[in-house]
This record gives sequence, C-alpha cells and structure tokens, in this order.
Amino acid sequence: MVDALHTTLQESKTDQVLIDRYAGEAAEIVGAENVSANQADLLSTCRDYWPVGNIWRAEGSVPALPQLVVWPHNTEEVSRLLALADREKIPVTPFGEGSGALGGVVPLRGGVTFDLKRMNKVRAIDEKNLLVTVESGLNGALYEEQLNHAGYTGGHFPQSLRCSTVGGWLSCRAAGQFSTRYGKIEDIAVSLEAVLPDGTIFSGRNVPRTATGPRVDHFLLGSEGTLGIITSATLRIWPLPEKRRLAAYTFERLEDGLEAIRLFMRAGTRPAVVRLYDSQETGNHFPDLGDERCALILLIEGAAKIVEAEASVIEDCVQSRGAESAGYKHVEHWLEKRFDISVASMLFQKGAVLDTIEVSTNWHNAHSTYRTMQEALLGVEGTMLVSGHYSHVYPEGAALYMTTVGFPGEDKIAYYKKIWQVAMKACLAEGSAFSHHHGVGLHRGLWMAEEHGTGLDVLRRIKKALDPHEIMNYGKLGLGEVQKWQK
Amino acid sequence: MAEVNMEQLLNCALCPNMCRCECPILQVTGREAVAPAGKARITALVRENQLDWDEDMLEAASNCLGCRGCTIHCPFPELNLCDELLYSRMTAKAEGISLPFLDPYLNNLRKYSSPYGQKTGAVVTSGCEAEVLFFNGCTSLANNPASIEATRSLLDRAKVSYKMIEEDCCGYPAQVWGEQELARQLAAENRRKFAAGGASTLVTNCPECWLTFTQRYPDLGQELPLEIIDGPAYFLRLIREGYLEPKKNPNGGDLEIISYHDPCIWARTAEKVDEPREILHMVPGLKVEEPFSSGSCTRCCGGGSMFQLSFPQIASAIARRRLEEFSKEAQIVTACPFCREGLLQEGRQVLELVDLLERSFK
Ligand SMILES: Cc1cc2nc3c(=O)[nH]c(=O)nc-3n(C[C@H](O)[C@H](O)[C@H](O)COP(=O)(O)OP(=O)(O)OC[C@H]3O[C@@H](n4cnc5c(N)ncnc54)[C@H](O)[C@@H]3O)c2cc1C
Ligand code: SF4
Repeated sequence: MVDALHTTLQESKTDQVLIDRYAGEAAEIVGAENVSANQADLLSTCRDYWPVGNIWRAEGSVPALPQLVVWPHNTEEVSRLLALADREKIPVTPFGEGSGALGGVVPLRGGVTFDLKRMNKVRAIDEKNLLVTVESGLNGALYEEQLNHAGYTGGHFPQSLRCSTVGGWLSCRAAGQFSTRYGKIEDIAVSLEAVLPDGTIFSGRNVPRTATGPRVDHFLLGSEGTLGIITSATLRIWPLPEKRRLAAYTFERLEDGLEAIRLFMRAGTRPAVVRLYDSQETGNHFPDLGDERCALILLIEGAAKIVEAEASVIEDCVQSRGAESAGYKHVEHWLEKRFDISVASMLFQKGAVLDTIEVSTNWHNAHSTYRTMQEALLGVEGTMLVSGHYSHVYPEGAALYMTTVGFPGEDKIAYYKKIWQVAMKACLAEGSAFSHHHGVGLHRGLWMAEEHGTGLDVLRRIKKALDPHEIMNYGKLGLGEVQKWQK
Repeated sequence: MAEVNMEQLLNCALCPNMCRCECPILQVTGREAVAPAGKARITALVRENQLDWDEDMLEAASNCLGCRGCTIHCPFPELNLCDELLYSRMTAKAEGISLPFLDPYLNNLRKYSSPYGQKTGAVVTSGCEAEVLFFNGCTSLANNPASIEATRSLLDRAKVSYKMIEEDCCGYPAQVWGEQELARQLAAENRRKFAAGGASTLVTNCPECWLTFTQRYPDLGQELPLEIIDGPAYFLRLIREGYLEPKKNPNGGDLEIISYHDPCIWARTAEKVDEPREILHMVPGLKVEEPFSSGSCTRCCGGGSMFQLSFPQIASAIARRRLEEFSKEAQIVTACPFCREGLLQEGRQVLELVDLLERSFK
C-alpha cells in the first residue's frame, strides 16, 4: 500500500492538533465544504510549474505538502482566515493557478494553503474612467473574455493567460506579450485591495496618481504572497483597438535587430508586440525563414491613424539597420501558436530538462548578456540547445528570454541546479537583473542577496513589520533560508 | 477494453493546465484537484504505482463531465482526457475503492436497468416490423416523457416505420462510475434486444447513449449491427426529404427569439453543430440568436457524465453559469435530455428540438 508521497523540501509541519482546530474554525467562516485535508487537494496545491516539481513527480515525490486547503470566497473571509492563522502562528501559502515557474507555492512549512480561485468576480467595469475592479482569483483568459464582451481589453497577455490568475500576475509582477504598448502589470494596476497577516484589510485609491506618501497598496506588487494576500485590484482597460497591423522582418545579425528596436523605441513608438529571435529560434518557429537570420515580429495596434504613423516610423528604423521584410504571415502564425507549449511535455518525457530563464537587460548589455549566458549554459555537460529572444522592450532596454534544453541522464536535479548557477552568474556579471517577469519564488531566492545587496535587508525589515510571525509564504523571495534547497 | 494511453496522460500531467479556463467544474468549484492536469497528475501517480487509489483521489478523478471543453485549447490532438480518466478509474474497483454516494444509483442500475430507479411511463411501440428503432434513454424516460410523446408524434406524422422498446440503460452511467462489468452486461443485453428486433437503424436523441453505442460498445466487444443516427441529423433528414414540414408556432409572436444550446457531445465529439441550426432555420417564425459561446466552443450545462446524479450541486452551479450566456428574452432550445434538465433553472423554460418541432404543428 502506497498512501503517501515522499516530500523533498518540507522544512517543517504544524502540530496536527492546531491544524485540526484551525480547520474547525475555518469551516465556520467559509463552510465545511471549503476546507479540506484530503490527499487529492493537498497534492494538487503542493507545487506549481517549477520544472523541479515535474522531475520529482516522475520520481514519486513532491516538494512539500500543505496540511489543509481553504477556499475563501471574499475579502472578509480572507481577513478572518488570515487573522486566525496569525493568532495560531500557522504558515499560510497563497495559491492562484499554480503557473508560477519557480516554486512560489511550495508550502515549505506545511500549514494552510489558501486557494483563491473562488474569488473570481469582475466587480465593476468603469467605462468612463477606463477601469475595472476584479477579484484576484479570476482566471486570466476569463478576465479578458469578460472585458472583450464589454468592448475592452485588459492589455495583459502572458503566455500563461489561460492558466494564471489576476492575483498571480500582481503578486509576481507579470508581463504580458503585448506589454510594450499596454505596460506590465504594475503599469496596468491602479490600486490593490489586500489583507495583511493580522487580518487588516487595506486598499489604494483609484485616482491616476497620488503624492500622498508611498503607495502602500503597491508594496504588495511582486511580493509573491510573502506580505499578505491580494484580494482584488483596480486595473486600467482600453477600448478594443480600432486597427491592428502585423509586420515581420529579418536581420543578418541579432545586434542589428536590437539596434533597430532601440531606435524605434527612442523615437517614441510603442508597438504592442516586439519579439526578436536569435537565428536558432527563427528556424524553430518559422522554418521557411531558415536558421541563419534573426526574425523580428511586430504587432502595432490602436487608433488607425496612430498605427499608421507608428508603422511608418518603425519602417524607417528597421530599414536603417538592413532589415528584409518578411510580410505579415509569420506574425499570424505566432498569434496562432503563442500559447502552445506542448513541446515542453514531450521533451520531458524523452528525458530532457527544459527551462526558460528571463532576465532584464539594458541596451548596452542586451547582446553581451545573451552571448555570456549562452556560452555559460552550453558549457554545462548535457546541454544540447540554448537559444534566446528579446521581448518586452523599453526605451532603456529589453527582456531577454533564454531557453535551455539538456539531456543530463541520471541526476536531473544536479544538472538543473548547475544550469541555473552558471546562468545567474553570467547574468549578474553582465550587470543585468536576474528576473524580468517570472519572479523569484523559492528557487531564485538563492540569488536575492547578490541581486539586491542591502536592498534585501530593507525587504526583510518590511517583511518583519508586516508579518511579524512569519506566517506568509515562508522561504520565498529569499526571505527565510531553505535548508534543503541550497546552491 | 481500451487501455490508458500513458504517453498522452503524462503529456497532460506535465502541462500547466493550459485549458483550465474551459473546465467548467474547475471554474465553479475553484478546486485545483479537479483542474484538467490536476486530475491527470493524480491519475498518473496511481498508474505509475506511486500512490494507491483512495476515495478522495478517486472522487477528484471522477470530476470530469466528459464535455471535452479542454480540447478547445489543448495542443495534443490525440489526447482524450475524459477517456484517459475513465479508463484509469476502472482500476479503483479492483483495489476495493469506490465512491459510496454512487451506490444507490448503481443499485438502481442493477435492479431496474436505469440509474433513476423503477421506470415509469414506459413507452413501448411494437407490433410492426419496424425499420427504425428509436431509443429514448433513461433520462428522457425519467424526466421528460413529454419529449418522448413529441418524438412519437413527429415520427407518426412523418409516417416512419419505427418502434420503441422496453429500454435498458445503455450502460454509460456504469462506465463513468467505474463498473465496467455492469456496463458490459447492459451492452450485451441491448445488443441482443436490438439485433432481435430486425430494425436496421437505431436513432437516439440522447448524446450520451449515442456516444456509448457508437464508441464504447466496440470497446466492450459489443459493436451494434445497426446504423446509428443522432436525433438532430435524423429529424433534419425527415424535413429535407419532405416528410415533415414545420410550421409557424401559432402561439409565438411575430418573431420568436430562439437560442440553441449545443450539447457538448453533439458539438465536439459528433461534430454536429450545423444540423440543429438548420432545423431551427427551417421552422418559420424563429429568430435564431447565438449564446455567448456556441458551436464547437460551447460550454457545458453541467449534465455530462451523470453529474446531475453524482455531483448535483456542481451540475447545478455549472448550469447557472451557462444560463448567464443566454439573453433573458431568448427561448432556449437544446438537443439533449441532460442539458434540458440542467438548464431548467432560474425560471427558464427549455425545449428540446423535438418539442419545438412538434409545437410547430399544433
Ligand atoms: C506556460 C507558462 C507561460 C508563462 N508565461 C508568462 C508570461 O508571459 N509572463 C509572465 O509574467 N509570467 C509568465 N509565466 C509565469 C506565471 O504564469 C506567472 O508568474 C503568473 O503571474 C502566476 O500566476 P498564478 O495565478 O498561476 O500564480 P501561482 O503560481 O499560483 O502563484 C505565484 C505566486 O504568487 C503568490 N500568489 C498568488 N496569488 C496571490 C494573491 N492573490 N495574493 C498574494 N499572493 C499570491 C503565490 O503564493 C506564489 O508565490 C508563465 C508560466 C507558464 C507555466
Ligand atoms: S487537456 Fe490538454 S491543455 Fe488541458 S491540461 Fe491536459 S494537456 Fe493541458
């Protein structure tokens, strides 16, 4: 009889008597049907899309298990449940849709996982002020669908749109594929409503800007469940675009493409989608373009006249760097395939370790960071392929997204740690930031001190002030040592 | 018996749930364990002998409506998650694990050959060497005898040589509840009865029965020796060939707004989205208005996989969610007894296609 899985990273657990008592009191708050200690529920909320979770799953183990799952329905319930956990010093892990790629939802100390998906209502669409107020557990695709139905877009399309929540985006400072026009989630968020560990509910104002001291609600942006729980947010929306223009180009060298982008961003254009692929990815995604040139795909949208003007400026910039036009079909192809990640599952079944590492570069080191990281990753025994593309561009730089595939044989975990070590070292040595949008989670906590320097201490002090009993999402964002997951 | 396709099940277990937005159970419960890949992960752990079934895991893996909403976004064309879960669940019984809340319905099946219990209002039409055997299905028999009367009246009107028989359940509920042997017995009994009657065509208005006859019976070694036709296609044929000429509903206003709810099996498995609409367009006086999601992207009413019996609260919540996709003014029409039953909430009236057609003659 096999009735329990081995846990690899479990740091500790809470006394079962306390958990049972909590379960009883939680049932009075949310109803018994919304409290569960059943194995199916514990197993399904114990991990996210961190590749390590899949490696361990295949070996019959899980990173760590919660002891209880609760499903609050509204802010008030979250507040009461959190205050109760704080009183008893029971660890709490917020859970959205588990699409995080770095172990952010792994309940290292057991305790209670708050599955937030029952908080899934669009509370109001304010057409006059172009704002929407939405609960944090709503699925991204369903959020966008409701906005589209009313004639608007949320402008936020991460590749995980269909498998992530609004709260997950805010908690991880997510970036969507159309971000160059619409902004990242922190640009889109006007105000947040959140609950602190002691049950305090607070929210920001829905005005365009304030100079009334720091925006305390914005402290929660990117806090990955370590400071409190985001229960709802007011976000910017846009009328559905009048016009959309698609264009693809190829460049002889990656550097030429980067320079072209820098020029049109400097000129003030803001195409929604800007993606520049290295020659390998160009060959993979668009076989008819071959694997010797670098493809740039662009999607410009908005008011027709503005779109035409932007297209014209962009055309001048790309031509100045020797671009060859490749029509628009490749952008259509990308639009159709942009959510298809089936290759990851298939490669995993063939024994591969695949991961993506996104970092934030400036123009002066955008290309050298790519080269250095690629070289470092290819230097690890077992690595078969390292490729990259740039997306999410700014006047000051671009996000670089590296994909690495290796066939390490037996010890996949050791290989996994090795590739991350060399990649992070290369990135930090180049002066780039170690994450652009996937966040930190459990795994990248290992490099938080190098990334932030004394800034990490500031974060620790904020954490201590807001979460004195350290109940919130232990061991994430580099806050708390994870004994069983060292470099 | 069809086997679990481990490669496909693992593809799903390894996926970050890219279709979760289209899983109605997940959307109404918010429960991660019933997310498509959540169920695949649990099931894969059992299949790979890393965990034994327990009741909770079996319950989670049973939370599949068979609506195949997940296929709308799934990048694996060969993956049929509903079937992989169904075949996987069948091993639970051998391990002594079952879901006690299903016992009363399984007992009904064993005793009365219907999950609903003793059959009432049996509608047997016999005495002739009929070409068409019309199979109503347990759900219509139990919940909507009026639709059977409508069907009978339409068939009479079209002068079809048909019969209805004392029906046994098609066996689908037994399969979804993991009772493979019972499903096989019911299939064998049906096969015997159907073959004995001499009819060459079997028509059913129930998508679950249709799916069972066409796809599960061959798996159970009980392939039927009849042509099997779905109700919408059959009635469309009768109209096209001039045997039925629908008229304007005398009670209807100038133009009656009708919205068709695509039953998932007709829309995504049988790929029948045009036939029912064509029928609607042939009935005078109707204005057909599509609900928010329709055709092959339709959203489930919550009635698949016997959920109205096994998980009634979830079924009802899903139906309420689906009802929000219809305009308040529209008369909802569907072509499935489960969908009709599920959508009869919040004061809404729901007709089956046969009810609508028959009404046009009155
Ligand atoms: C295929 C795929 C593609 C992806 N593409 C992108 C992309 O294009 N852009 C991008 O930015 N990211 C991307 N990601 C990463 C991931 O989807 C995002 O980080 C997303 O924001 C996580 O949302 P979630 O609801 O799944 O959160 P979860 O994974 O459930 O949680 C993430 C973290 O946030 C915390 N959390 C969740 N909800 C709350 C809340 N309401 N309050 C407080 N804390 C909370 C959790 O505790 C955890 O630490 C991708 C992931 C996958 C699997
Ligand atoms: S059904 Fe397809 S899209 Fe859905 S979780 Fe499984 S593999 Fe992913």
